[in-house]
Amino acid sequence: MTLGEGHLRRRFATFGWYTTLVALSVVILFPIYMLVLRAISSPIAFINAGQPLRLVDPEWDIFSRAWNDAGLARAMLISVVVTAVIMVGQFLTSVMAAYAFAFLEFPFKRLMFAVVIGTLLLPIEVTLIANVRTIRDLGWLNSVQGLSVPFLATALGIFLIRQGFMAVPRELRDAATLDGFGHLGFMFRVAVPLAKPVIGSFLVISFLSAWNQYVWPRNATDEGAWQTVQIALRTLTTTRVDELNLAFAGAIIAALPLVLLLIFFQRQMVSGLTAGAVKG
Amino acid sequence: MSAVTFDEVTKAFGETVAVENMSLEVIDGEFMVLLGPSGCGKSTALRMIAGLEEVTSGMLSIGNQVVNDIPPRERDIAMVFQSYALYPHMTVRKNIESPLVANKRTRLAPAEREQRVHEAAEILGLTEYMDRKPGELSGGQRQRVALARAIVRRPQVFLMDEPLSNLDAKLRTQTRLELVELHRRLGTTFVYVTHDQVEAMTMADRIAIISDGRVQQVGRPQEVYDRPENLFVAQFIGSPPMNTISGTLTTGSSGRTVQTAVGSFAVSDGTGAPDGTPVVAAVRPEHMAVATTDGAGLSGTVENIEMLGHERHLLARVDDRVMVARLGPEDPSPAIHDRVALTVDPDRAHLFDAATTRRLDDSAVAAPGNAR
Amino acid sequence: MTTTLGGAPDRAPKRTSQKVREGLLGWLFLLPALAVFVAFFYYPLYLLVDMSLHRENRFGIGDPPYVGPSQIVDTLTGSDFIEGLTNSGLYMVYTVPLGLVLGVLLAVAANRRLRGIRVFQTIFSSTVATSVAVASVIFFTLVNPEVGYFKDVSWLSLDNPDWALFSVSLSSVWQNLGLTFIIVLAALQAIPAEMEEASALDGYGPLRHFWQITVPLISPALLFLAVVLVVHALQAYAQIELLTNGGPGTATETLLYKIADPQGIRSIGTKASMSLGLFVLTAVVAAAQYGLLSKRVHYGD
Repeated sequence: MTLGEGHLRRRFATFGWYTTLVALSVVILFPIYMLVLRAISSPIAFINAGQPLRLVDPEWDIFSRAWNDAGLARAMLISVVVTAVIMVGQFLTSVMAAYAFAFLEFPFKRLMFAVVIGTLLLPIEVTLIANVRTIRDLGWLNSVQGLSVPFLATALGIFLIRQGFMAVPRELRDAATLDGFGHLGFMFRVAVPLAKPVIGSFLVISFLSAWNQYVWPRNATDEGAWQTVQIALRTLTTTRVDELNLAFAGAIIAALPLVLLLIFFQRQMVSGLTAGAVKG
Repeated sequence: MSAVTFDEVTKAFGETVAVENMSLEVIDGEFMVLLGPSGCGKSTALRMIAGLEEVTSGMLSIGNQVVNDIPPRERDIAMVFQSYALYPHMTVRKNIESPLVANKRTRLAPAEREQRVHEAAEILGLTEYMDRKPGELSGGQRQRVALARAIVRRPQVFLMDEPLSNLDAKLRTQTRLELVELHRRLGTTFVYVTHDQVEAMTMADRIAIISDGRVQQVGRPQEVYDRPENLFVAQFIGSPPMNTISGTLTTGSSGRTVQTAVGSFAVSDGTGAPDGTPVVAAVRPEHMAVATTDGAGLSGTVENIEMLGHERHLLARVDDRVMVARLGPEDPSPAIHDRVALTVDPDRAHLFDAATTRRLDDSAVAAPGNAR
Repeated sequence: MTTTLGGAPDRAPKRTSQKVREGLLGWLFLLPALAVFVAFFYYPLYLLVDMSLHRENRFGIGDPPYVGPSQIVDTLTGSDFIEGLTNSGLYMVYTVPLGLVLGVLLAVAANRRLRGIRVFQTIFSSTVATSVAVASVIFFTLVNPEVGYFKDVSWLSLDNPDWALFSVSLSSVWQNLGLTFIIVLAALQAIPAEMEEASALDGYGPLRHFWQITVPLISPALLFLAVVLVVHALQAYAQIELLTNGGPGTATETLLYKIADPQGIRSIGTKASMSLGLFVLTAVVAAAQYGLLSKRVHYGD
């Protein structure tokens, strides 16, 4: 009967694990369920009904109202533009600087590498006050350049891509030299394609940190028209209680790009998240 | 005309001298093998021809042109690397085509490019793999792609850096033949670096043996085998390597002999070196025999008999070293620990000056064709 | 051995010019990044010091006079800064250990062959799709004192000065779960299966296996995560602003919240001095972060 007993124990363990998994899923999903519920339910009616775990007086047009009337369309556009500028900028500056560090000899190279790594000590949270003044002096408050230029270069990108470049075998570099590649040709036709996995991971990090930014856009803008979507969410939570569902619907809209990223680029996302610290 | 000329070329990496005062002429159209142990400077020499290493001093020419200051891409050469150095993200076609498109100034018209790539692929039997990536190919196929990428340039000189060392033994033998065939077909100069003397002996028109950054000897395979110029070459070429033993040159009743601590043996003279000259004698295993009469030759103890199928090697401890003698097919096998005397074929002992390690002129015979 | 592409030898003039060209190219490639670093990373540090050394008058009129380091000393020893430091420290204490434990629990639970496990893995990863702002809005629906689902639970109440910061910190714990889960799961999956079999043959029970085999093997990932979570805690801002605005009173004002100062109650000099304080804290954490990062890259993932 030992066989049966082991079988029984295994089934019992399986049941235990499923119970644990479901319980943990509830902990993670309950807040999201709450958000969806309250985004769609009519705010006052939901509270008056004693906050049941179901829809109350659903307002299905809430998403289009949030998008059109609450200014989320504009905020999303700002976020998309700023994120795109930051990603392209970080890609270019990181690839170029990483190339210089990996493949070129130039004066003060070691010192310059220390200068790059030193910026890790100076995240935007530390330099916030001073950078706001700089942006104000430049007249860049409430502008795409004000929102993006301070982030057009990143030590993490340079560091990761440099590692990727340095993994290009020496003989391959020699072969490319003999084939007649110049530096630009070698960079874009050989080095960058070979460093694609690292660059992909980096772009994920770049996207997440640019899209999720809060402290900087909050301080570099003071007009509603230049709010990114994250900042717009705050504005929406400070309105009347009967319009709070706009904020909840807005949060769902703001998360959509990341949900899509998680669905379609899960592998890159995982490798990106494991490649370096990500700001949320 | 010479295809590549080293004229007192030196290459130093900081304090370390990798190639010292090298002078070497590679004749147009020949298959030249640079042979030497690892770290001897042969790869550095090859990389200087390619322009991947700068020349510290001296003059390096390709054809009639001094190339010290010519960048690699403007030299008329192509190179095959040990790791093949294929671009893993490009198809076979793109890899082969790469040297024709990488440099804007020398880029060919698409039609001619297409034709050349096709031709190179045809020669190496790659036409059905053109759209695959290197990762999908076997080691041997990758090696062919590397060769095709080299020949597509139609260079004046092919450089090869240990191109067979990543292949398994069977494929290596086959590829050796194919390389020789390719050389014959193209008629272009090959400069080939290896540490494997079998590759050198089987493929080379001439071998340059290099050690410690210096050329030790240049010659046809048979020449360097039969008439090593110095002790290094003597010990490096041949497998199993030559037996060496030091002694003194004397003249006895039966002519010139070498006196050693463990016995003496006759050598055919011709050196003109005076009696009492300290020498190192080197003898190939096939030129030693196990003596049937007592008292002659070098005495030792049998340590082992190696059966190789087609021949047997007798390993005997003589003094502080192990000497190897090839047993003839009719010879009896002595038992291990037997005492034996090893004799030396007087015409086949190579004598080297103990001080300079240089060959003593006219010692032994061994001109090719003279054998046996 | 210095170069391959465009080699740069030292004798002939032609090659010397090539070396100069390579040097110029190197600087050219570096320049864009360097410009950003100078303008928005190093120059601000100078500005912060400068602002800390000048004290504005009460109405912010005219150029603030030079006061030397006194303002920095006053600020960094003042009760406002100490409160911010304490709250940031508490935020770490609330979020880091709990985050690590839950992350390991999620990963261990989901790292097994069961039908439908991919679904659970996706659920556990899902919070990486939220930003801090989104996560804060989500927790708004749970803990807001007027409309939150748990508004009557005293230890989650944002009106309670003793519990408000803890309540806010739960939003961070929840939001970080996805990241923690993904990284710990990756570390667990990197453990060779033979390890499991070997320890089973050695007679290890599941608990001993976990503590003596699994934990040591994933400890580099845990260390890395600990640093990440500390950085996140130090940078906590949006959740404070969205959920409590620093209140009740100043009970949830973290260091960064005081620096960003959304109500505009502190002088520039004070905020600059506090920023220098944050800089020192960040330096310590960043040093640890860099150490771990270079080690990870060195050993590969």
